[in-house]
Amino acid sequence: MASKQRQPLVELRGVSKSFGQNAALKGVSLAGWPGSIHAVTGENGAGKSTLMKLLAGVHVPDSGEILLKGRPAALGTPARARRAGISTVFQELTILPNLMVAENLCLGRELTRGGLLDLRALRREAVQVLERTGIALNPDRLCGTLTVGEQQLLEIAKGLHSEADVFIFDEPTAPLNRAEVDQLEGLLRALKGQGKLVFYISHRLEEIFRFCDTVTVLKDGAHVATQPIEALTQEGLVALMVGRELEALFPERPASIPDLPALRVERLAATPHGPAVSFTLRRGEILGIAGLEGQGQREIVRMLAGEQPRHGGEVHAATAAIPPGSVEAAVRHGIALLPEDRKGEGLYLDLSIEDNIWLGPLRQTALWRRAPRDPALVRRLAERMGLRTPPAQPVGSLSGGNQQKAMLGRWLAADVQVLLVEQPTRGVDVGAKAEIYELLRRFTAEGGAILAVSGDLPELIGMCDRILVVRGGAIVADVPAHGATEEQLLGHALRSESLSEATA
Amino acid sequence: MTTKTPGRTGLTRYTVGLPIVLVLLLAATQADFRSPQNLLNFSGQIGALLIVALGQLFVTLVAGIDLSVGSVMSLASAIAATQAHPLAAVALATALGVAVGAANGLGVALAGVHPLVMTLSTATFLQGLAYVVLPIPGGAIAPALGAAATGQVAGIPAPLLWCAAAALAASLVLRRTRFGAHLFAVGGHPRSAYLNGVRVQAVVVGAYVWCSVAAAWAGLFLAARVSAGDPALGASYALESVAAVALGGVQLTGGVGSVAGVVAGVLSLGLMTNGLNLFGVSPFMRGVLTGALLLAAVSLQRRRIVGM
Repeated sequence: MASKQRQPLVELRGVSKSFGQNAALKGVSLAGWPGSIHAVTGENGAGKSTLMKLLAGVHVPDSGEILLKGRPAALGTPARARRAGISTVFQELTILPNLMVAENLCLGRELTRGGLLDLRALRREAVQVLERTGIALNPDRLCGTLTVGEQQLLEIAKGLHSEADVFIFDEPTAPLNRAEVDQLEGLLRALKGQGKLVFYISHRLEEIFRFCDTVTVLKDGAHVATQPIEALTQEGLVALMVGRELEALFPERPASIPDLPALRVERLAATPHGPAVSFTLRRGEILGIAGLEGQGQREIVRMLAGEQPRHGGEVHAATAAIPPGSVEAAVRHGIALLPEDRKGEGLYLDLSIEDNIWLGPLRQTALWRRAPRDPALVRRLAERMGLRTPPAQPVGSLSGGNQQKAMLGRWLAADVQVLLVEQPTRGVDVGAKAEIYELLRRFTAEGGAILAVSGDLPELIGMCDRILVVRGGAIVADVPAHGATEEQLLGHALRSESLSEATA
Repeated sequence: MTTKTPGRTGLTRYTVGLPIVLVLLLAATQADFRSPQNLLNFSGQIGALLIVALGQLFVTLVAGIDLSVGSVMSLASAIAATQAHPLAAVALATALGVAVGAANGLGVALAGVHPLVMTLSTATFLQGLAYVVLPIPGGAIAPALGAAATGQVAGIPAPLLWCAAAALAASLVLRRTRFGAHLFAVGGHPRSAYLNGVRVQAVVVGAYVWCSVAAAWAGLFLAARVSAGDPALGASYALESVAAVALGGVQLTGGVGSVAGVVAGVLSLGLMTNGLNLFGVSPFMRGVLTGALLLAAVSLQRRRIVGM
């Protein structure tokens, strides 16, 4: 650690950043030294990317200081951060599809001669960078034709092609194969050898232990630890990253659920010749749907919500059959969808909490009738939801958790019996997660029924009474949630033998 | 990728083919079309549209639209008609273009006003101003300007030279300057461009300024050709410039387009007008056809050129 005698290249002092009500970073301090590959890790939503975006000039901290080489730096825009010597490979791809590979590589730092672009020099430089980084791409190729992996490689080349002292790589290896990761490792080590500082954001333990020398762990926006890699084991690092009591998150399940169907689904099919699913959702039950991404979970939920046409099959609510392909009919029968994309599909971001909730009961009012408001009802619901913000506040300014609560409040006000919930706590911070689980459980305790899709297996296991596992559009397993394990569910999701007629 | 993508020029065989087909058709059927006098008229007729459309191209590349170009032309001609000195007319018209472009650009880029609303507002504002400056067509254009717009240089008609100069200038800026490169970047994906250190707002303002200055000069050109100012001179040009740009394969959603395409689009519109004259069709049919062509051009635009 000879480098420690000098001053740190980058120093963050007590930086905080909030988005609306959601505190993404709470007083984080961190120092990065020259000649170091510094891993920044933590769970999803720990604040890793936000922290790096402060350095990249995308966000400005609400409080705290950023120092470069001991001097306070104002990095208000990405262009300024670059000029200050910070080069960033963002997690989101920023390749422009209508530019050539060479143009993308040099974007924002084009070579000019006499005020005009020096196209020949630009191309020569691009060829050099591609050669040096060992990335085999034709500089004249239009980037719209690149695959995601190729785009990521180009992002990396772009990040390396810079006169920077600090390099940030935010989850650069997601779309890369093994050989490409090895290649990246070599490039990072070369930077380290030149005395540069590399911030490497990742939650892949293997990569962190392979080529990083220092690790910083964040959790829920706060700094947990910064340690040399030698001082840590994989288990020790994981403990730093999680260290949260999962059990306390979930409310208790009811001991037994009477056999009263809220929704009977028979031979529901998303495509004319595809597999059909049958299951029964009982009153008082939270039924989960697990599976790998894109195995038909979404289609099942969307067909039940009437949002997507169905090809055969029947759906019966408590009293009547529900016609296909009509959201309006589904809602009339007391079935409501809480979509995954709350901002795009669920909420009116510019309207207040009150207006968003009030849309629920409005559904039962004929169009030509006056729509008197009942502020007391909204207040009661907001209280029940634990919404502590004034009801006049626009929903767009709320945190993910509060948005989910507002959406839930709308359907409770509309008096629905069945909730279809996609990714109930995506983008919701931990504190609000527990509240949402509690609210969902209360809804079923009062006789409602919930069908929940989630990619988060521990969440399904903790929250549900029963879990269906889907694969290739068919139901392959139906297991009680109590006592289920992630391994067991994953096993069903991956294995090939089918139990598609397993019904409740 | 099995199909050949037109890349970021937006040129397809339709954009290039339409003017060629029109030329062949007219040359084959109308003897008058081939007369030198008609060709001279033709270059004069399309000159103003070409200059405006090349301005509109820049705004379209950053996914904007400028409906105020017509009013800028009218006001520029009204101002020119009140100035005795040619340089004063040019300087005032240029200043007008810079001011209007800056207002449009700042409104769109900084205040976040939708381009349609922003430029429709300035269009209305400037149209009113044009009637204040010059209530009825008339006034006098400095003779030097008239000569510059109608004369000949070494046997080549001046309008043709102006067209060439405009196309060359636009082409140079688009291909050989950082500003040009950044126009494509911003049009491709503003956020990605921003993350790559492109000053998105400055680029957008620059595009609108370029467009308005082009419109002001087009107004001067047209006024000089008829030797008078007219407060309604540019009325039809806002939509015609958009139609020409769309016919030229420029994506109205930004990021794809070329000078060659705009030239092709302007030629198509101009040939159509010229052809209708020669065939003796009512000039009002021109509006009907322009509208139909604009709709066809926009509907035929592929959403996903170069994977955007």
